[in-house]
Amino acid sequence: MLRNRVKELRARYGFTQSDLGKRVDVTRQTIAFIEKGEFSPSITLALKLASTLETKVDDLFWLEGEEHNEK
Amino acid sequence: MKNDFRLNYPLWMMAFILLLGVLAFGLNSPITEFVNTETETSVTIKLEALEGFVVFCSIILYFAFLVIFMARLKKHNKENPTQKISPLAIRPPEYLEQDEGMTYITRKAVQKVYSFITLALPFLATVVIVFPLPKLAIIYGILAIAFGQYLIYYLEIRKHFKEETE
Repeated sequence: MLRNRVKELRARYGFTQSDLGKRVDVTRQTIAFIEKGEFSPSITLALKLASTLETKVDDLFWLEGEEHNEK
Repeated sequence: MKNDFRLNYPLWMMAFILLLGVLAFGLNSPITEFVNTETETSVTIKLEALEGFVVFCSIILYFAFLVIFMARLKKHNKENPTQKISPLAIRPPEYLEQDEGMTYITRKAVQKVYSFITLALPFLATVVIVFPLPKLAIIYGILAIAFGQYLIYYLEIRKHFKEETE
């Protein structure tokens, strides 16, 4: 399962799910699905999210069970 | 999004299917008389009081629903000019495909519906072949499958929208 820090970084930037969705051109629901781990985004969307949240893709997403260094 | 007409579209279809079921009950037991002579060709359908009342009410209700449905459709198209729904479209309008997340949950729901249909249709066909069922029972079987597919789709989509948080 793909884990992520989207919710954490979104909160750090003060974005709502709608704000972030608009910035990466998806609906609020899709951001919610990603945050819940219900849906794994495409590489394109992962890159857009990482760019918007000013981080690297592998810092934003990682596989469950793999080591992830919190920053 | 929660008020998106496409989310509630399956509910509308379920309501129309139920009304068709009521209409089918009313129309299934008329006395039909077919006359074909040298001087006359006619088909006479006599409805008993109850069946006539059921048919009358269901037709009135059907058209009332249709008017409300079309009004909602028009409102949706006005509010969502980029995602208009055509009442004559072949592609099911309940599909949510505005981005990859929506496409994903739509695909999951459609997979469940497909699984249901692949079991339900052969089952119904077998039952109809084996048992001498009246026409109304067969109609209800078909309507039940149609109702079931919308119900499965609606519940699956709703499940994903239920727990979302801002």
